[in-house]
Amino acid sequence: MVATTHTVSLQGAVGHVVDVQVDLSDGLITTALVGRADTSIIEARDRCRAAVTNSRFRWPTTRRITILLSPADLPKRGPHFDLAIAVAVLAASDKQFPLDSLAGSAMIGELTLDGRVRCVPGVLPMTMAAAARGITRVYVPEPQAAEAAMVRGVSVFGIRSLGQVMALLTGDEVPEAPEVEPISGSPLLTWRGEERLEDLDMSDVIGMPDARYALEVAAAGGHHLMLTGPKGSGKTTLAERIVGLLPDLDDDESLELTAVHSLSGSLQAGATRLVRPPFRAPHHSASRTGILGGGTGRVRPGEVSKAHLGVLFLDEFPLFPADVVEALREPLEAGEISISRGEEDATYPARAMFVFACNPCRCGEYHPYSPDHQCSCGEVKRREYRQKISGPIADRIDITRFVEPLTEQQAKAQDLPFDQRETSALIRARVTAARRRQRARYEGQPWRLNVHVPGPALRERWPLTDPAMDRLDAEVHAGRLTRRGAVRVHRVAWSVADLAGLQRPGREELDVALRLRRATPLLLQSIPAHPALSVVEGSA
Amino acid sequence: MSERTSTVTETERLARAALSRIAEPGHPTLTDAVHQLGGATVLGDLQRQAADRALGEDLADRIATADPLKELERAASKGVRFVVPGDTEWPSALDGLVTAPHLHERGGVPIGLWCRGPLQLDEAVEHAVAVVGSRSATTYGGAVAGDIAAVLARESWTVVSGAAFGIDQSAHRGALGQRGPTVAVLACGADRAYPTAHRSLIDYIAGVGLVVSEAAPGCAPTRIRFLARNRLIAGLSRGTVVVEAAVRSGALNTASWTAGLGRPVMGVPGPVTSAPSAGVHQLIRARDALLVTSGEEVLEAVGPMGLFLLPEPREPERPRDRLDPVQRQVLDAVPLHQAVESRSIARTAGIAHARTREALVVLHRAGLVVHALGLWRQLEPET
Repeated sequence: MVATTHTVSLQGAVGHVVDVQVDLSDGLITTALVGRADTSIIEARDRCRAAVTNSRFRWPTTRRITILLSPADLPKRGPHFDLAIAVAVLAASDKQFPLDSLAGSAMIGELTLDGRVRCVPGVLPMTMAAAARGITRVYVPEPQAAEAAMVRGVSVFGIRSLGQVMALLTGDEVPEAPEVEPISGSPLLTWRGEERLEDLDMSDVIGMPDARYALEVAAAGGHHLMLTGPKGSGKTTLAERIVGLLPDLDDDESLELTAVHSLSGSLQAGATRLVRPPFRAPHHSASRTGILGGGTGRVRPGEVSKAHLGVLFLDEFPLFPADVVEALREPLEAGEISISRGEEDATYPARAMFVFACNPCRCGEYHPYSPDHQCSCGEVKRREYRQKISGPIADRIDITRFVEPLTEQQAKAQDLPFDQRETSALIRARVTAARRRQRARYEGQPWRLNVHVPGPALRERWPLTDPAMDRLDAEVHAGRLTRRGAVRVHRVAWSVADLAGLQRPGREELDVALRLRRATPLLLQSIPAHPALSVVEGSA
Repeated sequence: MSERTSTVTETERLARAALSRIAEPGHPTLTDAVHQLGGATVLGDLQRQAADRALGEDLADRIATADPLKELERAASKGVRFVVPGDTEWPSALDGLVTAPHLHERGGVPIGLWCRGPLQLDEAVEHAVAVVGSRSATTYGGAVAGDIAAVLARESWTVVSGAAFGIDQSAHRGALGQRGPTVAVLACGADRAYPTAHRSLIDYIAGVGLVVSEAAPGCAPTRIRFLARNRLIAGLSRGTVVVEAAVRSGALNTASWTAGLGRPVMGVPGPVTSAPSAGVHQLIRARDALLVTSGEEVLEAVGPMGLFLLPEPREPERPRDRLDPVQRQVLDAVPLHQAVESRSIARTAGIAHARTREALVVLHRAGLVVHALGLWRQLEPET
């Protein structure tokens, strides 16, 4: 007697549908589990047996049980195979069991010894994978039903126990079962949480037209940004507000991001889809695994992936370990990160806007223009510090701004009674419009934002105006710009043009892009609609 | 101090108001004629010529339809008053324009000034500096202009400028942020706002400072009026600071007027690679403008003599600076880490042993060398 159930195995963000086949035969009484299962699955035998018995079903103790997980070459891990295994065993041992009820169904869940179901991480990406492979019904732990239901075209059954699943499959009355604990407890403390970020608005920031505009351009095209400046100049203040300039995620994006967070087990019970772009700010002392992903046992996505489609803020960037910084090159360039570890190769999406912040020196007091700075580092230490910033990462940063602390008199000058400070919502509206233009332009392409357009495609299909193109080439020939740098400047010029609603970037947009890249001051006139420049008449 | 009163007759004021409406601002023939003969005489003369058909039809028409009384009433309803030479409010600083050479066929003392705002023009510009520059300024220039203006404002000096984008507005903002007096000189009528995006700024200045124009209310800002306007910015100030100006910037025109008035022209430098600073660099290099880097330096240049003197910037003195050449030579010969005999030091320094010993004693007293067991070494490396 053979019965087959289905479940999903995850490798990174890639899911495979796994068939769980159980055969009961005469012979040596044993339970064999074959098909490259890891320890947590081997243990499933014991969990399942106890769960089955304690759910008042009969475990076929007098038969030889062979459990096959196929495809056999795929390494499988995770406790969520329990449910599929237990159901397959019960289906195989019951001649009356309607086997066709198992077709097109996937079972995801860990079992406890008393037959209850426990939550497992990654339900959303598993369901997505199952749906992509033609599965139409999924059985998941009840608290995670909402998560699975985000996937279209799948009927989701939220269950509490093995007994409930069996009842659903055989058409019996569904028995009562105690509620299932959600996967992660509610956070005991919230201090720098999402709530705080929501309250941050650009209208809190006085002046700094230069940096504000740089943020807007970066947000419009998804460009990577570096903010340098002495202590207390407002780097963090600005960085934390970038995410507020980004539009809500669309359906596909939000599913992608939610899936990543599901993998990391950080989704709250009854979570709805994540619609706001994430903001992640790992500390420089965070582990390599924490930032990039990996981990012992199960591979988890790191901060770079949790910031997918949002903002990854690396404050005090030169203090991050060199190997972490090196490893950031891949996500910076390709928008994904691959983790190879033992038998496992996992690739997670990591298309975040990278925002780097650093002091001008280790002590943070150095000021390149001010003769009376209090820096105690000395020239040699400063050079060492700067070298950590330069190099491969620097070439991949599109926009660099020097943020200067506003003096009292400068703050007053930019906050006169008739000035209206721009709100994040106002800027977000412009960013949204600019992104809409990009989406229309790149219709049918695998990318959506200027930052992701490959260099050749850019030159071929979306060049600058002729005089601007000539200028850009001249910069490269003169050795003032690398080839990679030229591509990045080209992309930023498009973002500037998109914000201005232009058909094609010309010399002026190129000039702005070059200044943004080279950290030279912007022309005030190229910064549109800022109160310190042009006072908006009336109010919208 | 006795209350001064205006010596201007009503006829003269009305005549000048009419002329201000008829004439292009800063028209040198007219301004000179009015300065020498008075407005009433010139207007009468023009009216006679118009009657004799000796004038062009255009001008004749404008003279015939001029209604200065109504003009002044209309202006007053918009909060604009007409100030003419002889009024208590008339600033003596403008007298310099009598002799200043004409530029671009503009020049002379204005026939009158249309003013909007609570400040008295003469008091406002008694201590005033023009802070001007390019419309296409960088954020660097904007910040420097604002800082200079703020320092001026804190010393109760008035900032005079246009109302354009870029340096002009940064200068006003810097001063306004300190609640300092500020005067915006416009090329269009004082009741109008140009650029229109600066309406709130201009209206705000009219509320706390002064908006001034030579052109009658309602007049449009034309290219030639900007050139005439620049002469007023220069004329109302004791000196002009150019913060950022490309090679062909109107701010350089203001600088020329200032030079023609014999008043100090100052320039704020920028990176030599920056186009918006190129005009300023030329001004400093070829036209003897004074290089300034802060509001304090501006005050030193334009303030009453000796009032705003700045200390010479100098490095703090170190013990080494007080040594004579021989002592310095000996000190350089004393090793840092390993103590040696004085003879060895004398050899290294190439100075007679006796003189070396003398020098070492001085150095020891100055705390620069350590002496123990007949051996000498330097106390600590110089940083």
